[in-house]
Amino acid sequence: SAAARRPWRLFGAMCLLRLPRITQPLEKEEEEVAALMEQIELERSLYSDHEMRKLEEEEQLKKKMESLYDEDEARGKTVIMAQDLEEKWEQKFLRFKAAPRITDADKSNDRTSLNRKLDSNLMLLVKQKIGNQELWLLPQVEWQPGETLRSTAERAMATFLGDHIQAKVLGNAPYGIYKYKFPKPIRTENNVGAKVFFFKAFLQSSDLSQAKLKADYLWVTKKELGDYLQSEYLKKVNRFLLD
Amino acid sequence: DALLASRRSYRSRPTHGIGRFKYLLPKEVPKKRKEKVQMKEISAGTEYQYGDINIQMTSHDLCLVEHFAQYVHRLCNRLSIRVNESYAMPTKTNEVLFLEERGSKMQLDAVLTTHQRVVQIRGLSSTFAPILLEVIQSSQPEGVHLLMKQHTEADFKSRLKARPELEELLAEMS
Repeated sequence: SAAARRPWRLFGAMCLLRLPRITQPLEKEEEEVAALMEQIELERSLYSDHEMRKLEEEEQLKKKMESLYDEDEARGKTVIMAQDLEEKWEQKFLRFKAAPRITDADKSNDRTSLNRKLDSNLMLLVKQKIGNQELWLLPQVEWQPGETLRSTAERAMATFLGDHIQAKVLGNAPYGIYKYKFPKPIRTENNVGAKVFFFKAFLQSSDLSQAKLKADYLWVTKKELGDYLQSEYLKKVNRFLLD
Repeated sequence: DALLASRRSYRSRPTHGIGRFKYLLPKEVPKKRKEKVQMKEISAGTEYQYGDINIQMTSHDLCLVEHFAQYVHRLCNRLSIRVNESYAMPTKTNEVLFLEERGSKMQLDAVLTTHQRVVQIRGLSSTFAPILLEVIQSSQPEGVHLLMKQHTEADFKSRLKARPELEELLAEMS
């Protein structure tokens, strides 16, 4: 007899990650250790060329103040003193302004923008209609026979974000799987349930202005996933997410 | 009598081999001059295994890059990935000259050194490679460029120094 497998519908889902742009702040112990190491290194270090030069010039100045030396004694009179150089560098440093770590999007807690939370991974969540409910999910699309699961995931990404996305998919193997059975009224002989395979991709460019976002979307961190996803789904998704 | 030398260490005498000492010294292996190592293995198929892969880390900050290279090496040891070699490429020094043209041309110099460390890995399975890549990427420090590529002969040759005299002689001969 023919193989009576319970047929499952297959879906391919894409977990699009935006990599962190800056490093996370140090913990309290890390900061203490860093300060201690800096102090040890400072006490153990020797003078650099610039500092030696500065000390010599200070001594020369002192000698000039105390007793009038002949101008012939000063060999190779330097036009620029080391102290002047230092002042110049300090002024340049004060003029430099670093970009802010906490951006506007953070303050307004706008979850649809990519500029939020620059020090952690952000994932794309989309609202999709499954059965009768509208749920927040990772973008997924049904698998069609004849294509690989990876291309299904890429298609899912393309349907929700447009065609030209610079995302790098990692490998051909899926990262996780979530399977569920349909509720009894919908279950037929051919359609017992569904299996969703998750793939991961890194977002290369941070410019999504060309993307045509059709449905509601969110960029969330791992901790905020719990607010949107259902518990079973969340458990499986959390298994393959690095912090 | 003096000519006879009756106390000669002859083979039947107990003093035979009295001055021997070389058997007590440790064995010296003769030095090999040329080392041409060209081992590459790519086993294609459903079970992909990458051949030699180079992880190159470049940065201006020496301590950061060295510590990061050590971290990657230890990570591979823990994950039982075979590390062939872990070496450093020669540092490149760049002099930055500012030419401010406001009346008098001033030249402010800054000296930047670029350091590069390479960790060579073999036997990475394709199911594990993206996980490793993600771990390394997420623990990348600021100011360090990461590059993963397959090991080629050109990479190997870039470590060796060219010998102009030898090349001249070879050219003269042929």
